[in-house]
Amino acid sequence: MYEFLQYLVCDAMTPEPIAMSPKAKLREAEALFEVHDFNGVPVVDDQRHLLGILTKFDLLKAFIFDFHTLVPHYDEIMEQTIETVMTSHPVSVEPQLPLSRLLQKLVEMRAKSLPVVKEGRLVGMIAREDVLKALRRAAIQHETPAREEQ
Amino acid sequence: MTTLLYTHPRCLEHDAGFGHPECPARLTAILNALKTASFVTLEWREAPEASLEQLTRIHSLKHVERIFARVPRHGHYAIDGDTIISPQSGEAALRAAGAVCAAVDAVLKGEANNAFCAIRPPGHHAEPHQAMGFCLFNNAAIGAAHARVVHGLERVAVIDFDVHHGNGTQAAFETQQGYLYISTHQAYIYPGTGRREERGIGNIVNVPLSASAGSTELRQAWIQDVEPALHAFQPQLILISAGFDAHYLDPLAGLNFCEEDYEWLTGNILAVAKQYCQGRVVSMLEGGYNLQALAASVAAHVKVLIDAPLAA
Ligand SMILES: [Zn+2]
Repeated sequence: MYEFLQYLVCDAMTPEPIAMSPKAKLREAEALFEVHDFNGVPVVDDQRHLLGILTKFDLLKAFIFDFHTLVPHYDEIMEQTIETVMTSHPVSVEPQLPLSRLLQKLVEMRAKSLPVVKEGRLVGMIAREDVLKALRRAAIQHETPAREEQ
Repeated sequence: MTTLLYTHPRCLEHDAGFGHPECPARLTAILNALKTASFVTLEWREAPEASLEQLTRIHSLKHVERIFARVPRHGHYAIDGDTIISPQSGEAALRAAGAVCAAVDAVLKGEANNAFCAIRPPGHHAEPHQAMGFCLFNNAAIGAAHARVVHGLERVAVIDFDVHHGNGTQAAFETQQGYLYISTHQAYIYPGTGRREERGIGNIVNVPLSASAGSTELRQAWIQDVEPALHAFQPQLILISAGFDAHYLDPLAGLNFCEEDYEWLTGNILAVAKQYCQGRVVSMLEGGYNLQALAASVAAHVKVLIDAPLAA
């Protein structure tokens, strides 16, 4: 585990991840979720400033019953833009954050993944799977000295 | 007047094994930072070894003998899963405790206003009968006892801002008159002690902070708990268990202090010291495991110590 303590978020994240425009349709996001195993996709402007994150959960939320219609219409909802249902001001982390701290954060928030942001710009995504992989890597690279007494 | 820096090369040779976070590079990073131009006025002194008498004011003789019996000739010996010693660890631990006693002597004799001990292994988890949590001897408690017994002080305070609770220091003092132990730390992490209800004989003040607390919560804790306790106690000497692992980049915990917080905290401690004990403060290194954050935080802390006489 000592090795793991030295890892930073930037060592384990997916760099330059796929991101979407706030004006893209939910339909496009849905198509992306079908192809990739994403939990959520970051939403950015032209300069890749992070605006929000759209998760599968946000997508589901678009379908809950509300006062607009008696029955939600799939095609209509899928024509909405991402910015109408995305989570704005999402929690993000710095690339230099120790991975051990990111792990605490994921657990505390029950988050599946978080955007990684440097000076306002999206530079990566870090997911539960990435942390699990890093833990495995650390365990292989370093064995702690055996206990000689207890 | 001057600020003293106590350290010893042996403290760089205590080695807890490959990849261990409590590594010699921590001290190297600190010493390099303190060799830069802003610190030319620091007076460097070599830490002496603590005497058996100094150690056994806090620790049982059996504890001391056991530590030395386990120091290996080669390789490493694991006291517990994380508290690991190497051939030089025995002497390093003696130099660490000795540094604090020597600093106490110097400051109480008026040779300097204050002192920082750049030492390893750290001390605040070491209990009277048990080494643990990277710690062998409780440097802070040994220094405080030295001030009481040798210099006849009646009231010595230890302020511990390491992210972990100093269970060892608390254990040493919780039934002893003349000592005040104040700790801010992250709740529910190692070693699990340090709840508010743990008050000793009214001389223990624990301020657990919730995970992810930062500058705001620290300032609140100082105003609501730490400062009033110090005013009530009126210390004749203040020791600081200066761990820097509450820094926002530290990999071992979750609090979010920054360099400015350590600066602010140190300034406030010095103001209290000025009020009650002519500014007499002896600070010593405990934790802090992100090398850059550690070096920068220690630099911020020591800079305030140096500037103290002018500022106050
Ligand atoms: Zn600590």
